[in-house]
Amino acid sequence: MQSANLAPPSPQPGALIAHGLNLSFGGIEVLKGVDLDLRPGLVTGLIGPNGAGKTSLFNCLTGLYRPTAGRIALGDTGLDALSPARRAGLGMVRSFQHMALSPDLTLLENVMTGLTLSRRSGWASAFLPLPGGRAETQDAQRRAMAALDELGIAAAAHLAPPELPPGTQRLGEIARALVAHPRVLLLDEPAAGLNAVETRDLTRALRRVMHPGLIMVVVEHDMDLIMQLCDRIYVLNFGKVIACGSPAAVQADPEVLRVYLGADDE
Amino acid sequence: MDSSRKQQVAVSELVHPKGAIRSPARPLPELRNLRTWASLLVVAVLAVLPALSGSFLLYSLSLCFANALAVLSVSVLVRYGGEVSIGHSFFVALGAYSVAILEKHFGLGLWISLPAALALGFVAGLLFAIPSRRMSGIYLAVASMALALCLPELLIHMERWTGGFEGLYISRDLVPGVSKAGQRYYLALAALVLVCLALAHFRGSRQGMALLLARAHPRAAEAFGITRSWARISIFALSATLASLSGAVLAFASSTVSPNSFTLWSGIFYLVGSVIGLQGTSLIAALIGGGVITLIPQYLASAGDYVPILYGAALLIVTLVANSGSGLRRFLPGKAA
Amino acid sequence: MSALSALPQDLPPLLWSGLVSGCLYGLGALGLVMVFKSSKVVNFAHGNLAGLAAFLVYGFSSGVLLNLSWGSAVALALGLTAIIGVLGYAVIAPLVFKSDLTSTIATLGIGLILQGTIQIVFGAEIVSLELPIPSFGFGLGSLRITAYDLTVLAVTALMIGGLFFVIERTRLGIAFRAVCSNPFASRVCGLNLRLVHLFSWVSGAVLGLVAALLIVPTTFLSSTTVASFMLTAFTAAVVGGFSSLPGAAVGGIVVGIAMNLFSFYVSPEFMNTFLLGVIMLTLNFFPDGLLEKAAGGRV
Repeated sequence: MQSANLAPPSPQPGALIAHGLNLSFGGIEVLKGVDLDLRPGLVTGLIGPNGAGKTSLFNCLTGLYRPTAGRIALGDTGLDALSPARRAGLGMVRSFQHMALSPDLTLLENVMTGLTLSRRSGWASAFLPLPGGRAETQDAQRRAMAALDELGIAAAAHLAPPELPPGTQRLGEIARALVAHPRVLLLDEPAAGLNAVETRDLTRALRRVMHPGLIMVVVEHDMDLIMQLCDRIYVLNFGKVIACGSPAAVQADPEVLRVYLGADDE
Repeated sequence: MDSSRKQQVAVSELVHPKGAIRSPARPLPELRNLRTWASLLVVAVLAVLPALSGSFLLYSLSLCFANALAVLSVSVLVRYGGEVSIGHSFFVALGAYSVAILEKHFGLGLWISLPAALALGFVAGLLFAIPSRRMSGIYLAVASMALALCLPELLIHMERWTGGFEGLYISRDLVPGVSKAGQRYYLALAALVLVCLALAHFRGSRQGMALLLARAHPRAAEAFGITRSWARISIFALSATLASLSGAVLAFASSTVSPNSFTLWSGIFYLVGSVIGLQGTSLIAALIGGGVITLIPQYLASAGDYVPILYGAALLIVTLVANSGSGLRRFLPGKAA
Repeated sequence: MSALSALPQDLPPLLWSGLVSGCLYGLGALGLVMVFKSSKVVNFAHGNLAGLAAFLVYGFSSGVLLNLSWGSAVALALGLTAIIGVLGYAVIAPLVFKSDLTSTIATLGIGLILQGTIQIVFGAEIVSLELPIPSFGFGLGSLRITAYDLTVLAVTALMIGGLFFVIERTRLGIAFRAVCSNPFASRVCGLNLRLVHLFSWVSGAVLGLVAALLIVPTTFLSSTTVASFMLTAFTAAVVGGFSSLPGAAVGGIVVGIAMNLFSFYVSPEFMNTFLLGVIMLTLNFFPDGLLEKAAGGRV
């Protein structure tokens, strides 16, 4: 089976590598020796039936969970001991299953919060209209607007998230994640709560923002989105990678078919 | 429950059809203009008032301004931190007694004692917020109750410094030669206006927006490098600094400090003022909150026992209306809580 | 050195009376924790309700309101307190699933109203309210054990025993535990969330009343003593981890003893400051309470 390439990943500059990840909660093994090789310029999907360990794996990548064994590295940097906030500093950003925009900020301002780490203005600028702070704010506004524009929702820039449909909110979250030009974008069920049309728009927008320097990782139940968006798919079951390869190869894999058709009706 | 209903309404168009309740994130431009003009008008009237009115009104208003600052300090904590404190009387007292003690024991005037009060308030806020930095805001509220309760015993029993029950007097002028009532009034007004301007600017700043995101979605904020402890500590230190400023202004404006002004209830009253002003950080909201908590006890002195019931009912009614989620909310200019 | 040499003399009575008052703080804390566990609301009106309840007993038995025997006064006050507990919950019921902030503000509002009621009905005076128990006592070494001490221990044991029986053995108790561990799932399973909340609110109110009645003979009854008592109960709850019932009971005793030692050896005047210190140190070093060693699961 050439698609089920389970060999240890070969090092590649800038890739997000997980090697031998184990995770257990109170004696229950959720992940068992998972290897991932997530390359720049590729969209990688993580799929699997409920309880397969997708979300746990995702949370290990974002730093919410500490794996019990194994290593995660981005390029040459080991991530194992780093908190989510520190990983953000290395250019890893994520989106959330539940909408996570602040209702008190406009969409544009929400996107500007994605630039927090790259902004330097001090507390004096927070209270006084100092020239340095103002220039920085204008620059941040410009960049946030550009990000909204790239995703096609610039028209909603000055509206508050509660006024917007879920699809626009989701695109806003992605704009916020992308505005600081991250190296890694981790998407946690981006189509959750969206209808079919919105999901289609989202898929197109994600393809559009993809570029050779970006590692994009998607955990998703929506197979249409996964198949149209991803270059490479990892299939998990019972905490193990059971298949890995292109969408077509994974779809043809008998093990995957058995897991999906036999075990779960997703 | 609420959000799922919203999601079903959604269509693939960019903006909800008409009828959507406007969120406070972006008031209508006309409304914002109106607010600016109203604030300017209020400031103008307040600025010329001393030429027209008697000194008792000025004195009352100075206290209103000082209390408005204290109300603002609580509102800032609620709005940007999503936290409640009922012990802000501690930080107000810290500012007030700093001014009084620096004058009495060291002969220093407001030019030095005001910045000192700000610095002390900042440090105290920092120290208070650090132990509960990673925990739910509930713990902060509980700890703040202890803060409010330990204040009177500290003030009374550290008599050598605080003057005990009697308190201390403040008599040095800020600007020698100008009328006392005038400088007290204008200092309080200037402090209030400047703080409101600074807070308006803060809303659009990097830190302000980061705090608002951290309040709504701490984990999302974490993913963009905004940690919960940073948010908790910075907003509390900021709020305590403001409260301390309010105390310094209060001490100067009333020319006396005593434990009577900082009872167990003072901290709760600041919260009442903040809730009545819908936790707004604008000049008008602060004046409404500060005005209510200053003037109601003054004018209802004979019916003093009813004040707690009145305040309690105000807290309940505003909170219930703000969270009714129905048409009632439309009557509120901003979202409370 | 004299303090050290007097230690065997001083310490047992301090520990004993700390244990006795600690039981009462524990009862107060239990009410807070029950409400917090089930409805995730920190009830800042807890102390005010307990204070009002004690004043009601005073009012009903002293002739201020009625002239009943102590027992009937307590029964009537108990009924009224339970009703006020229900009403209080009814008022904030729409806010229970909103933010911490909202429900905290609402319970403060209720507390203020109860406080105002005390002031209007009973004035700001300080009254004394004794328990109808014989005043005997016996010595045991340097200890002196009184009927009051034994009453407190017996009542506390009875209340805690009864509470744990209800929680461990009855259907309501099972529902309570289910709601505490997962409100959403228990609602899906058809458990009546509101009923469980009411159970905890009423139990909290009753525990508060009992604790207030028992603590009043050692101090006096006034709005400030109740406020201090409330703070002590909160401290006990924090020391116990705020969401553990055994923790609350143990926290009460720890705080009771610690307060006695502090007041004897350091200063009786800075009691609330001491409690503030205890809260801050606990939050910093034992965020999940003294009993909980395992990390995680904090709210």
